[in-house]
Amino acid sequence: MIAHTVAAILLAAGLTAVPTPRGGLRAQQPDSAPRFDHYRHRRLFPTCVSCHQGAEDPDQPLWPDTATCNACHDGTNRPKVAWRPPTEEHPSNLKFVHDLVPLMTRQTPQGTESLACKDCHTPAGGEWMVVQRATPERCLECHATGAPHLASPDTLCSTCHLPLPRAAGLTAARVAAFPVPPSHRAPGGEFMGRTGLGHGALATGTKEPVAPSCAVCHARDFCITCHVDAPEQRAIQALEPDPRARAIVVRLQAPATHREPAFLQRHGAAERANPRQCSTCHTQESCLACHAPSQHVAAALPARGPGRGLGAQPARRPPDSHRENFANRHASVAATTPATCAGCHVRTDCLECHRSNAAAAPGYHPAGFLTRHPASAYARETRCSDCHNVGSFCSTCHASAGLVSSGPLRAGYHDGSRFFSVGHGQAARQSLETCIGCHVERDCLTCHSAVGGRHFNPHGPGFDAARMRRKNPEMCTACHGAAIPGN
Amino acid sequence: MGTPPLINRLSVAFGACAALLMLGHAAAAQDYRLRLDTRWQTVAYRGVTLDSIPVGDTVSTPGSGPTSPEGFAVRCLAGAAYCTFFRPGPVRRGGPLSTTADLTVWDLGAPGLSVHAAGRLGVDLGAADIWPGSDPALQLFEGYAEYAVPRATARLGRQVVASRLGTMGFDGGGLVLRDARRGLDVQGYLGWGLARGTALPVTSPALNPLNDFQPRQRQLVAGLGAGWSSRPADLRVDYLREVDPRSDYFVSERVGLEAALRPVTGVRLAGGADYDLAAGWWGSAEASLGYATRRVSATLGARRYRPHFDLWTIWGAFSPVAYRAVHGAVTFAASPQIDVRGRYERYRYEDAEAATPLFDVQRDGWRWEVGTTVTPLPGWILDGGYRRDFGPGASAAGVAGSLMYAPSRRLAVTLLGSTVDRPLEFRYNDAVVRAYGIDAQVEPSARVRVGFAATRYEEIHRRPDAAAFDWNQLRASARLVLLFGNGADMGGLPPAIRLLPGGRAAR
Repeated sequence: MIAHTVAAILLAAGLTAVPTPRGGLRAQQPDSAPRFDHYRHRRLFPTCVSCHQGAEDPDQPLWPDTATCNACHDGTNRPKVAWRPPTEEHPSNLKFVHDLVPLMTRQTPQGTESLACKDCHTPAGGEWMVVQRATPERCLECHATGAPHLASPDTLCSTCHLPLPRAAGLTAARVAAFPVPPSHRAPGGEFMGRTGLGHGALATGTKEPVAPSCAVCHARDFCITCHVDAPEQRAIQALEPDPRARAIVVRLQAPATHREPAFLQRHGAAERANPRQCSTCHTQESCLACHAPSQHVAAALPARGPGRGLGAQPARRPPDSHRENFANRHASVAATTPATCAGCHVRTDCLECHRSNAAAAPGYHPAGFLTRHPASAYARETRCSDCHNVGSFCSTCHASAGLVSSGPLRAGYHDGSRFFSVGHGQAARQSLETCIGCHVERDCLTCHSAVGGRHFNPHGPGFDAARMRRKNPEMCTACHGAAIPGN
Repeated sequence: MGTPPLINRLSVAFGACAALLMLGHAAAAQDYRLRLDTRWQTVAYRGVTLDSIPVGDTVSTPGSGPTSPEGFAVRCLAGAAYCTFFRPGPVRRGGPLSTTADLTVWDLGAPGLSVHAAGRLGVDLGAADIWPGSDPALQLFEGYAEYAVPRATARLGRQVVASRLGTMGFDGGGLVLRDARRGLDVQGYLGWGLARGTALPVTSPALNPLNDFQPRQRQLVAGLGAGWSSRPADLRVDYLREVDPRSDYFVSERVGLEAALRPVTGVRLAGGADYDLAAGWWGSAEASLGYATRRVSATLGARRYRPHFDLWTIWGAFSPVAYRAVHGAVTFAASPQIDVRGRYERYRYEDAEAATPLFDVQRDGWRWEVGTTVTPLPGWILDGGYRRDFGPGASAAGVAGSLMYAPSRRLAVTLLGSTVDRPLEFRYNDAVVRAYGIDAQVEPSARVRVGFAATRYEEIHRRPDAAAFDWNQLRASARLVLLFGNGADMGGLPPAIRLLPGGRAAR
């Protein structure tokens, strides 16, 4: 009798779940099909199982065939109806099978009673054949404290639900539409954090490798969306893989600490102190998004690979010190903390500006530097020859401008003083690199040669004749010929 | 050209090997990075042309010296039949166009093996080939095969070694051995050297536009270096020897030492010096104290600069003297919107011990600069500064300012303007140069960068004679940077990483 009642309620409600021998659910009447109005037929059917035999006997069909309907709805006595029993299974992740109903009991003033169809499918106080879908809350009236479905303790999920990988019939779209429990929306993002309310603590807080409640909606693939340390996490490995789990879209969010102003400066020390906390979201590659590879940076983090999440993909952004026009004032910082620069920059970055390029607009030198370069070049504000060859760079340009000497020296260009020629020695020794931008050796040897010149001695302070002669006597021959003094 | 055929053949062989390695393995290689940087600009220059007239044709004006009939001040030596002067030269226009390619190929079958090449193709599209650096058209900066493992890096081919002794390019081999745990490394290299400041051998005619004396063979380069690096300190010593293989005489022989201390975070005390073993004197040296925090960066230091000349020239025998300088610089973030900066240096040349009768030459010089950068609104950057240089030979003083609109990192448009007075000491050439222009940089994607700029220059020479000609021009420039490459491990990485030739360990 009870079984009949249960079956009748199931039918009357057009229920979603019908048990299968292996624990799954059979097809549900599609929403688009004409619904059977149970209440209008309340005087016709005395029991549920008169139509829904399968609710009582798994070997029988759950749904009546159309011939049963057509016995009355023949088009003469009653109008024909288009109702057809469902032909496809409707997948679900419920563990419920109607075979279990006889085993389910409840306490009443009269004692312990087994459940009937109406206990799940008729509202409290409802008339016969006023039916409804069985709701999770009805289950939880007995199985828990009566809390709303999604607010129930996590330990209860697996009482009624299968792990996702075993609910093979569910489509990814159905998985994506899973409702989100309130616990997942804890204020302040605690659920994604590492506190006691965090998902990690909850997942590993049971005696099982992973909390069964997690497995109802999630599989390993879901965790890998974020976790790059998945292979090292026992709880994640305890979940079965299932690509449908990725249908639940989750976005990796940076912890609140990462938004602190000084985080960029401190993150290196934090990583060195506890690399494991970084390895949840960061692979070595995420470090390399900013850092130049070295043997130390990110060495404690896992490399990107199969079975790991993509992890955080930090967008490279300059530190606060790299504010506007930093290129113009980076020199002192680069000189003081070169290792810091090397954390992100490589030599090619520097050479973009620090390698001379005939076709380059201002880069290393400011716009208009050409016009003021004498003031920098005369006293070598920087080492010009590190980047510029005097012959190919300075002399070529000076020659095309008519500034170089050609043929015998003539007075005239250095017209700032009438006596420049006789008094040029100091200027020459101070800025000899500048002189040779326009003058060649033969210009000087006109006077400064011991062979054929005017024998003006050019050697000044620090000149070590013996040493130079020993190192390269050919230089001496330029002025002294074969008669090198001291030989 | 004077370079022995053997060296030429070996150089060609090096290049060919590198090219073959690259071409042969590029197809099979899993990963490569290629960066093409093409730049072009229009430039103009107007110099002077030496001219002369008979003494009898000069014009004497009361209160001033002789001039030509056209008004050019002339210079007449006693007893000479002709006086000389410089008249304005023709306006020379150039249009240098260059493409710099930077290629790295790896995953060649052996972990740690890679091939690197960097070269430039340059031409001058202008009517006159006046701009330096575009000859020869093809220049190979670097081209080497590298094998790198944690304890060693070996390179073979054209490569560049940077140390306090300068940037030394050569065709040959280099090896770095390191003990990362102890922070030690030892470096050695050997090869045929390139000239300083260029990727050309010293025998190249492009380095000798004035037909000066030039070596007939490339110098042999040998270098050794050793360093120790730790968190609080660095120490490095470098030795470099260059030898003329034709005579076995030295071209140069120097040793350099540098050290740095970092007692606390943000503070660095650094110093170094080099000694010229061939000339027997100390070269350049410096010591500085640096301090850098998020809001302040400052440097205080002293330095000595003495130029270095190879022994195949006579210039070292002319006893170039050094200058000694003290300097300081500070940058301060007064607020999140305002940065201020200042810089000062004062220097004095050592005694040149040269008699300068009737002619005084400055021994002292100084330069200072102040400036500020203001960000009044997000994306708007206003920058301005004033700078003065005073020293032997030339001086300069002027202001420069710019207004940049950069709503994102992908777009920046800048208006700029400046003016500078630049008198020379040894020539009447007080000139004022004013410049104003616009610059735009666009980065439509991570693999493409485009830039345009146009600047108008107005130069006014202040001379009392006809040589006070103006030199005005409009300069335009353009730039296109393209990045190519593959390699799953590098997906999504920024350009600096994609361009990485061999990692820090390889440097």
